[in-house]
Amino acid sequence: MAELKKFLIRRMLTFIPTVIGVTLITFMIAYVIPADPARAWAGGEKASQKAIELIRQRYHMDEPWYAQYWFLVTSLAKGELIDPRTHNPVMYDIMKRFPVTIELALFSFVFILIIGIPLGIISAIKKDSIIDTFVRFFALTGVSTPVFWLGYLLIYVFFVMFRVINIVGKPPDPAVVITGIPIIDALLIGDFKTVNQHVARYWLPGFVLGFMGAGVLARFVRNSFLEALSSDYIEFLKAKGVPKLRLWRHALKNALVPIVTVLGLQFGGLLSGTPITETVFSLPGMGRYAIQSIQNIDFPAIVAVTFLFAIIYVTANLIVDILYAIIDPRVRY
Amino acid sequence: MKPILEIKDLHVHFYTYAGVVKAIAGVSFTVYEGETFALVGETGCGKSVTSRAITRLIESPGRIVKGSVIYHTKDGRKIDLLKLPEAELRAIRGKEIAYIFQDPTAALDPLYTSGYQVAEAMVVHRTVRSWKDGIKRAIEILRSVLIPDPEKRVKAYPHELSGGMKQRVVIGTSLSNRPRVLIADEPTTALDVTIQAQILKLIESLKRRHNATVMLITHNMGVVAEIADRVAVMYAGKIVEIGNVFQIFKNPQHPYTKGLLKAVPNPLIKVEKLESIPGTVPNLINPPPGCRFHPRCPFVMDVCRVEEPPMVEVEPGHQVACWLYTKR
Ligand SMILES: Nc1ncnc2c1ncn2[C@@H]1O[C@H](COP(=O)(O)OP(=O)(O)OP(=O)(O)O)[C@@H](O)[C@H]1O
Ligand SMILES: [Mg+2]
Repeated sequence: MAELKKFLIRRMLTFIPTVIGVTLITFMIAYVIPADPARAWAGGEKASQKAIELIRQRYHMDEPWYAQYWFLVTSLAKGELIDPRTHNPVMYDIMKRFPVTIELALFSFVFILIIGIPLGIISAIKKDSIIDTFVRFFALTGVSTPVFWLGYLLIYVFFVMFRVINIVGKPPDPAVVITGIPIIDALLIGDFKTVNQHVARYWLPGFVLGFMGAGVLARFVRNSFLEALSSDYIEFLKAKGVPKLRLWRHALKNALVPIVTVLGLQFGGLLSGTPITETVFSLPGMGRYAIQSIQNIDFPAIVAVTFLFAIIYVTANLIVDILYAIIDPRVRY
Repeated sequence: MKPILEIKDLHVHFYTYAGVVKAIAGVSFTVYEGETFALVGETGCGKSVTSRAITRLIESPGRIVKGSVIYHTKDGRKIDLLKLPEAELRAIRGKEIAYIFQDPTAALDPLYTSGYQVAEAMVVHRTVRSWKDGIKRAIEILRSVLIPDPEKRVKAYPHELSGGMKQRVVIGTSLSNRPRVLIADEPTTALDVTIQAQILKLIESLKRRHNATVMLITHNMGVVAEIADRVAVMYAGKIVEIGNVFQIFKNPQHPYTKGLLKAVPNPLIKVEKLESIPGTVPNLINPPPGCRFHPRCPFVMDVCRVEEPPMVEVEPGHQVACWLYTKR
């Protein structure tokens, strides 16, 4: 346990350079675009010179880039950075939207898991059968289907034709905040009415966002599982007289290491899919907020969103590393 | 001598992109109860495939295309393992006919403890009442295969054990259900020389204690001379000579056997000079017609190039497939 704690601390320390790197790159991109953010924030063409000056001063825009960056990051970390568009602290705006995005990502992750893993296992067991071909086709369709196209198609089917979903607003939060993610809190306190409302609102966007990942995961599970099944220890297990199900369990556990790696990456990938999904389904999440910020050259907000996405990403990877150690005794902290 | 396994006219093919590999082409031999039967031959001649085909452990792209394997059960029934339903065959694998594989490092699942893997063999065959009993038995088994500190080692993962130790775990696993037949496929190849001797001694002593039949696969003639009762010599998917260990070593008949004995230090006869057999193992997709050994044979005759030699008995229990010994 002490080992684990040391490992966690060591890994947390590596978060710092990652997060700095990511935010710095984002800032630089925003910095070099040839536009005058101060003018945009002050109201565009009609902005008064005085207002523009004030904004420049407040955001240290006359100083060199590193001073600007330093100002952004430090005031962001202190929670003092004010968004020039909404005049709220940036972190306040983001934290309001964060649960929506996380919930969306969780729903699509669940879809990826419950579709991808069983399909992968079945297509490995029924290798080169019709099911296997179908999964191959499904994976290909998944990666080549644009999120917005599938999104609008399914909105047409489930909203316009059958009226079984709701695509506006945000379902109510449960009465108690424990983790900050509404559906989990609702589950924890047993508020199933709220749970139902959240499922009703999120299942379709979650499915659309997870669609691509599910096919990819299925193919990946299939290949890792087949590879594990062809190992020598599986042959020895057969020679021991072990029944099929037990063989598959051994193979699956061995296949889990690469699968978990891909799942970690996929969770990160989901985040990059949230802007479009949230826009299509009018979910008030961080992704949509990011797009709006980009449109308004609102780079304090852009840097803040990137900062949070980077943290989610590295946390997902940290969880992957911990899972490795749980699965594989050869992995030492 | 009572037979325990009769392999008859076994054919195994591998359907590869390059063509059909006729890896085993008409192999027949009998293993008798209680003996140590050795199967020898150069690498790639089909020893492993033959041994695995006995309990149908041949994986795609391989297929057993012909033959039978008659197993004589304890209560005197004869069953053809190649026709047995999968579930019944599984009940025999690892319980009555057990294997030790070539590479101990690869034979153990890296994610489970050695104790779990030994116990698993007993749990799946219901020779122990529970996992708890299985682990308890596993400790005794590890002790019997001379693993020091077995109480601790049952909890060790394969990567925490040395190669020799892993092979002992594999042997322990294979012997855990007291099999009647133990098929050891080059059980010591992956290990260093001092460990090799220990492992072979261990197999010998366990064999004697449990009164098991051992089929030993090796290309080490020294080992054969030391522990085998009878020997079958394989070449390119066929058996070329079978006899007891004295017949094979003192009076080899087939030119290939003679070459093989010259190629290795022969413990029974002093040889002046070691020579290797000229030429290489033939391609089994298009094997040479007639006798498969003829391109390398120093005594090749016209008939060898066109017709396969039949098995003939040259002395009681000593058979050879070579035109040199067939009156025509
Ligand atoms: N999976 C496979 N695909 C194609 N050919 C195979 C396959 N497995 C075995 N063979 C063929 O079967 C032949 C016999 O192989 P086998 O493993 O029985 O040799 P061996 O006598 O055990 O050799 P070694 O001493 O190296 O273990 C080889 O020539 C090989 O070409
Ligand atoms: Mg072999």
